[in-house]
Amino acid sequence: MTSTKLYTAIYVVLFAMATAQVLIEFAGLAYWVGVAAILALSSLKAVMVAGYYQHLRFEPPAISAVVLVGLLAALVLTFAAAYSIL
Amino acid sequence: MNDETRHRTEPDGGHTTDGGHASAGERTTDGEHETDGGRATDGGHATAGDELDPSRIDGHADAAEEAFPPLGSIKRWFVTTNHKDIGILYTLTALFFLVFGGVLALLMRVQLWTPGGNFLSPLSYNQAVTAHGLLMVFWFLSPFAFGFANYVVPLQIGAKDLAFPRLNALSYWLYLFSGVLFGVSFFQGQSLAGGWTMYAPLNLPTYMPNVGATTAILALVLFVASVTVSSVNFLTTMHRMRAEGLTYWRLPLFTWTILLTVWMMLFAFAALLAALLILTSDRLLGTTYFAAEGSGSLLWAHLFWFFGHPEVYIVFFPALGVMAETFQTFTGRRLVGRKWFILAMILVAVQSFAVWMHHMFLTGINLQVKTLFMATTIGISLPFDLMVFALIYTMIKGRIRFTTPFLFSFGALVLFIIGGITGVFLGAIVLDYEFRGTYWVVAHFHYVMVGGVTALIGGLYYWFPKMTGRMYDEWLGKVHFGLFFVGFNLLYFPMFLAWETPRRVIEYDPAFVTWHQLATVGAFVLGASFLVMFWNLSRSLFVGEEAGDNPWEFATTAEWAVPSPPPLENFPGTPSYGSGSLRFLTTERALTPGEGSGGAPGVADGGTTAAVGGIDHDLDSRGLGGHDPDRSHDPNHGHESHASVWPFVVGLASFVVFLGLSGFRDGGLPPGMEGGIYAGIAVVGTAFLAFALVGMARQRFRGPAGPFGESWPFDGVENTKLGVWIFLASDVVLFGAFIGAYVFTRVAHGWVDWHVVPHDPTPGLVNTYLLLTSSFSVVLALVAAEKGSRYGLLAGLTATLVLGVGFLANKAIEWNELFHEGLTLSSSVETSTFYLTTGLHGAHVLVGLLIVLYMMGRAARGAYLDDERPVEYFGLYWHFVDIVWLFLFPLFYII
Amino acid sequence: MHTVGSVVAVVPLHGEGILPTGTRADVFREIFWVFLLLGTLVGVVVIVYMFYNAYKYRDGGARAGAVDGRERGAADDRPTLGELPTGGGGGRKLFLSFALSTVIVISLIAWTYGTLLYVEAAPTEQEDDVLEIRVEAYQFGWAFTYPNGHTADGTLRVPQGETVELVVTSRDVFHNFGIPELRVKADAIPGQTTTARFTPSETGTYQANCYELCGAGHSYMTAEVVVMEPDDYERWYENTASNSETPSNATTANSTTANASASVGGDR
Ligand SMILES: [Cu+2]
Ligand SMILES: [Cu+2]
Repeated sequence: MTSTKLYTAIYVVLFAMATAQVLIEFAGLAYWVGVAAILALSSLKAVMVAGYYQHLRFEPPAISAVVLVGLLAALVLTFAAAYSIL
Repeated sequence: MNDETRHRTEPDGGHTTDGGHASAGERTTDGEHETDGGRATDGGHATAGDELDPSRIDGHADAAEEAFPPLGSIKRWFVTTNHKDIGILYTLTALFFLVFGGVLALLMRVQLWTPGGNFLSPLSYNQAVTAHGLLMVFWFLSPFAFGFANYVVPLQIGAKDLAFPRLNALSYWLYLFSGVLFGVSFFQGQSLAGGWTMYAPLNLPTYMPNVGATTAILALVLFVASVTVSSVNFLTTMHRMRAEGLTYWRLPLFTWTILLTVWMMLFAFAALLAALLILTSDRLLGTTYFAAEGSGSLLWAHLFWFFGHPEVYIVFFPALGVMAETFQTFTGRRLVGRKWFILAMILVAVQSFAVWMHHMFLTGINLQVKTLFMATTIGISLPFDLMVFALIYTMIKGRIRFTTPFLFSFGALVLFIIGGITGVFLGAIVLDYEFRGTYWVVAHFHYVMVGGVTALIGGLYYWFPKMTGRMYDEWLGKVHFGLFFVGFNLLYFPMFLAWETPRRVIEYDPAFVTWHQLATVGAFVLGASFLVMFWNLSRSLFVGEEAGDNPWEFATTAEWAVPSPPPLENFPGTPSYGSGSLRFLTTERALTPGEGSGGAPGVADGGTTAAVGGIDHDLDSRGLGGHDPDRSHDPNHGHESHASVWPFVVGLASFVVFLGLSGFRDGGLPPGMEGGIYAGIAVVGTAFLAFALVGMARQRFRGPAGPFGESWPFDGVENTKLGVWIFLASDVVLFGAFIGAYVFTRVAHGWVDWHVVPHDPTPGLVNTYLLLTSSFSVVLALVAAEKGSRYGLLAGLTATLVLGVGFLANKAIEWNELFHEGLTLSSSVETSTFYLTTGLHGAHVLVGLLIVLYMMGRAARGAYLDDERPVEYFGLYWHFVDIVWLFLFPLFYII
Repeated sequence: MHTVGSVVAVVPLHGEGILPTGTRADVFREIFWVFLLLGTLVGVVVIVYMFYNAYKYRDGGARAGAVDGRERGAADDRPTLGELPTGGGGGRKLFLSFALSTVIVISLIAWTYGTLLYVEAAPTEQEDDVLEIRVEAYQFGWAFTYPNGHTADGTLRVPQGETVELVVTSRDVFHNFGIPELRVKADAIPGQTTTARFTPSETGTYQANCYELCGAGHSYMTAEVVVMEPDDYERWYENTASNSETPSNATTANSTTANASASVGGDR
């Protein structure tokens, strides 16, 4: 598969997943199930964009690690802060 | 800096063998009037080589590279991008802010001479307290350390300069102008007066209505911008540009501390930026994050302390590095347990992001969280025990020479031990409850922070001979230390005894008057000790003894193997530790340190191009996409630029923009003339900034090019690409903190079950489609550029522009409708979170589109076709903006 | 993290008299003195050891030869310019001291953690005995509301020997309510409540301060805390049911700007 074809295929998948996210809201799922599904889709899309469009898959893993450390810091802040007032 | 050092001037800094130099005719090889303290300048030749941006080959004449004036010239200091010059600028500016913050502290101590004095009004006192804290923590401590970091780190790792010298200059100018802006705030009614912690909601216009308070916050935003640029620059440099053989374990300890400091800075300051941007928005645009009852106060506390605790180590680590270096040099011993020392620091750096709630033990957070954060807090104190013992044991069997730098480091260790022990008291929550808000805290953190300053002052004496080529007066140095140490303890120790005094009060229980008066006396002794230092150092600049390359016996690091001050491009050859110790490789032979000094003719010759013959292995050869990203395409890749006035201009323009913005309040302007003036300044500033940024982008400028010795784990990732990624990582934290703020607010207000502001997800979905498509078009543009298709590239970029504009237009329509429904930024905290978070993303889109517009202009003239990297790097940013939207869309439109 | 294990181990000791009990003031005093004693001891030992070594290994002209003679190995192995950094050995000693300091710190903290649980423990059996008083901070003063709805500004009256629970909040900005002598402290945060529990053991008049910078009147934001004989308190309390006691100068209650002159703040 040439790179252009691959990029196009990814684009189509991303498009479809975005649509699916909105449909989930109206699918009548339980709230937290819906939230989990929607965020899982977002994460999947993010991984695809980062892996192929930003070609992280083909870079040294250290670059992904740098970004993931930032993500981890943000998650620690978000969850610890929210949990502290529960 | 003076003629005596002229004899070290090397013949033209080793540029003489750059074979294919297009402009050899213009060269002014003038060792004569360039008596800049041993720095060879390659004054004024414009290379017409292949620049990073190859659009120039279409014959379009871009702004020529600037000439680099000698050290004595005033102009030099406005255009310099050399790390050593920038280091000196940082050091001097930081010392200015030390005096500024110190005078404010003296005013406070005068006020506290009597229990109920009225030397200052309460509001003046509160401003002094606030400005003292902010100036010392932000504008003095870190920049002072970064003066050394700028000067010494490239020398220690064997780099000719930082990876992005112009950005380094930009960091400095943003720093300077942010400090000036902070100074301006005092003349706009009243500056911030809520303490350096700026607790919400006191920091809002309801309670602090003056323009000056907004200006001070904007000054902090500008400062954070400086720090972020600097962090990206240092991280890229230290990871990618180490000399051969300098693996991480072998890095000098000062470099290690700076490496960890900048990593912490990158993430911690991003969180602070989020807090400051939200605060700015609350003040300027009228959002209601921090005014929201039941979430605002705590949200600020979380965001601020998430930054605030790592900040403690950000300011302390460089001091630790100085202590490690000076202990080794002046005891003549290698650091005991070196690996464990480094591991302990890494542990602290990581864990520093998981202790922030120990500042919030009394805010009503739940017991589990308290317990967890007590454990992490105690955990983080333990590695310091190891570091302290390692330093102490290093003295054993040493040959200790009590020079001024060692005295300061030794004193710093004593002070740090006291600060550390009194900190353990605060780790016990039951005690913390009572110490909260008292002078115990004040005394403790001054022992730690000013203990750090003590070591850094030692660092100033330690590197002064390297930076100036002159020795300071040793006797006066010892006098300084004596006064400093006595003054310090006289100032801060009584605070422990008077610990029941609440913090930040202008009157106190008369029972404590003796202790407070002792402290005031100590403050003046401490202040006076600096007069000795300023006298000593400025006098030594002119009459000090010649320092030589290495005035310290047993110093090991590379900065002592080059002349004092080092030549413009630092080394007489390519530094390498490949043989087990430092060598400067040239085409002819390897130099051992010491041999290279004095500028022996023929040594410098070919220095910078030595890699061709010396160590021509290429660690980066597994580059992607068929080209080797480290290797410049032009034959004279040894040449670097050193001058650019644009960083200064951008800094000045940013200052003007922020000054204009400071007048805004709640989405409007003050009435009448005043409002008009602020609006005018903002408009003029924005135009000026746009001009400056375009000027900087168009200037041809070349930073150090590879290949470099050690680049693991980023082999094959070109400097700029790594820089972009590191910047994006900090942007992840920025957006993460915004999303965290939103989640926190949601939890605090109990919004669950499909709760969104815009009742119609369609505009959001359409924007998701638009942005996804634009990501795709950027990818296509890159593919076209790789194939050399100018048409395809232009088409891809144009499509991106159109889609991005569509995104913004769609958002504008959506917002307009919501506004008409009465849902404005200030309607409620939920509309605030919606508008501000998606607005921040919109601003990222806008910035991206401006870059696209610029690139389209270049691409139309044939740029990027044989070097598509700029398109690729822009794509990294654009896809990141896309990814952020992939999360914002569900968060704000669906769930 | 490894502290958790020792924490769990220490908690049961509570009943056996190792952990301090009593009022918050007692608990604080006891813990503070132990920390102060140990802290001073450790500090003095470490710093004296530093000075001892600094003196012993000083580079003096006369001693240099002696040191060289005795420490031939070390003297020959001085760091040289341009060498690759390596460690200086001595790891065993380092780890011993590190382990020792770890033990001291962790046991101290674990010990106080038991006290924290004691201080924070919800009073299960004497739930009814607790006198709950609402404390509202404002720029720049304190308002106290008693269970019967009586509100007083600037003076808090509590009966001696009875457990008082303060429910603290703020009308405007972040404050902190503290009575230093009784070792009571709680953040006063707008839109949120925090609690502090204490049992005053002696009658008398104490002063409450604000411990979080809150504006111009921060230094003057004090309140009087009167600990009364239980009988006196009861008599006073009976009389409050109808009339509210508010000082005439509490005009700042509605002042929300920082421009309020400090002299009008508070109740003094
Ligand atoms: Cu902290
Ligand atoms: Cu206050």
